[in-house]
Amino acid sequence: MDYDPMAMDDAESLGPVVKISQADSVRVKFELQNADISFANSLRRVMLAEIPTIAIDLVEIESNSSVLADEFIAHRLGLIPLNAEGVENLLYSRDCDCEEYCEHCSVRLTLHAKCTGYENMSVSARDLVPVGDRMNQNLGTPVITDKDGTGPLILKLRPDQEIKLECIAKKGIAKEHAKWAPSAAIGFEYDPHNKLRHLDLWYETDAKTEWPPSEYAKWEEPPVEGEPFDFDAVPNHFYYNVETAGNLPPDGIVAEGIKVIQQKLAGLIHELTEGEGEGGYDGPRSPEYHSGPDTNYGYSTSYGGNGGNQSAWGGGGGTTPFGGQTSYGGGGWS
Amino acid sequence: MAARPESEDIAMDDAPTSHQPEVKDDTMVDDEGEDVDENEDDEEEEEEETQRVKLLPGSTETAASFEFANEGHTLGNALRYVIMRNPDVEFCAYAIPHPSEAKMNVRIQTFEGTTAIEALEKGLRDIQELCDVVTDKFVAAAADFAQKKAVTA
Repeated sequence: MDYDPMAMDDAESLGPVVKISQADSVRVKFELQNADISFANSLRRVMLAEIPTIAIDLVEIESNSSVLADEFIAHRLGLIPLNAEGVENLLYSRDCDCEEYCEHCSVRLTLHAKCTGYENMSVSARDLVPVGDRMNQNLGTPVITDKDGTGPLILKLRPDQEIKLECIAKKGIAKEHAKWAPSAAIGFEYDPHNKLRHLDLWYETDAKTEWPPSEYAKWEEPPVEGEPFDFDAVPNHFYYNVETAGNLPPDGIVAEGIKVIQQKLAGLIHELTEGEGEGGYDGPRSPEYHSGPDTNYGYSTSYGGNGGNQSAWGGGGGTTPFGGQTSYGGGGWS
Repeated sequence: MAARPESEDIAMDDAPTSHQPEVKDDTMVDDEGEDVDENEDDEEEEEEETQRVKLLPGSTETAASFEFANEGHTLGNALRYVIMRNPDVEFCAYAIPHPSEAKMNVRIQTFEGTTAIEALEKGLRDIQELCDVVTDKFVAAAADFAQKKAVTA
């Protein structure tokens, strides 16, 4: 038997292909071909949870005589999509030199409404007014796409009720809180005919007649009756449907997603190569050097030779343990 | 220190931490010393946040385990796949040891002639290249789509 591990006999050797089937201001539907499912899933995950956007993070309420509690309103304000154009020039508040927040790491918005008429009054995102210096004229402006031009409803006021507050919008990612998610939804699909049998379809009498075909079913060859199962088959066509929440254009979400992966990789490569430059790799290192009985687990085996600073604790110092993973309910926001 | 008024020392006696009233001044000096140490520890922890990969103990040149801080399946699975495609790599796998710790471990075993660290670096660069290609293809496809739309409109 001739087996050459170098032979790239699969479709991947052709290189990735991208085909766009629909693109407008709200969504982009595209197909990624000749990539592995692991990369396709990385792209999906990163677009879902790791693209920086801007959302209201702090609310200072001056007066609130509405029927809704302060914290209830603050939560609603946080979920309002804000335009994230140019957010890459905004600093994370935690990285900024300022005390709490400043124009380099936040956008201020104010809301002041009083019902002076005799009928109940609606207060919506349109009434949020950005104030102070901004990176550009769009960053932090509430996204308004409805035909009335009011944006999402925040609360309603009865006659004589008043709401006055100031919001601080900060940069963040959806891994920390879903309000920073750039996408309303990301559709991700492969193998519409279930040829690979990754799905176990529930049925009463016949799965084929009871399950509606996917819109991508006609893009791929239907299975031939009586065809033997192909054990070597791997998914090769991935169908994405990226729908924006309005803060970034849909194709911008895809581009930003790839950029976030790139930044992640660049950071790691930098760290690896920097270690070599210091002679950390060629110098004393584990396991020979640290094989003594007093080896501190997690203390001394770091790559860069500056590992003496390590402690086993606090490795995830910058994150909350709950926000760190998106494996559960990753598609939970709606 | 020894010239402190007696009254202050008596007040310190009431503190439950002092077990040796005779050498009170010494213990105070010690406490101060510990305070300094704690401050140093804090600074070190801050520096540590910047380190995102470390080599786990028990690793050899051709068989190593790495621990990535603040990474998950997003990087782990893609990295595992791309490293495994390297013909010089004998084995590569990733794991998230505990779901509530933002850590991801990668195990790499290579054949002779390369090291696990080289294989890791090559893997990272390979994904970068892949990202570049996909970006180019996406941008081209978007431009193509926009052009077709303009023609039909």
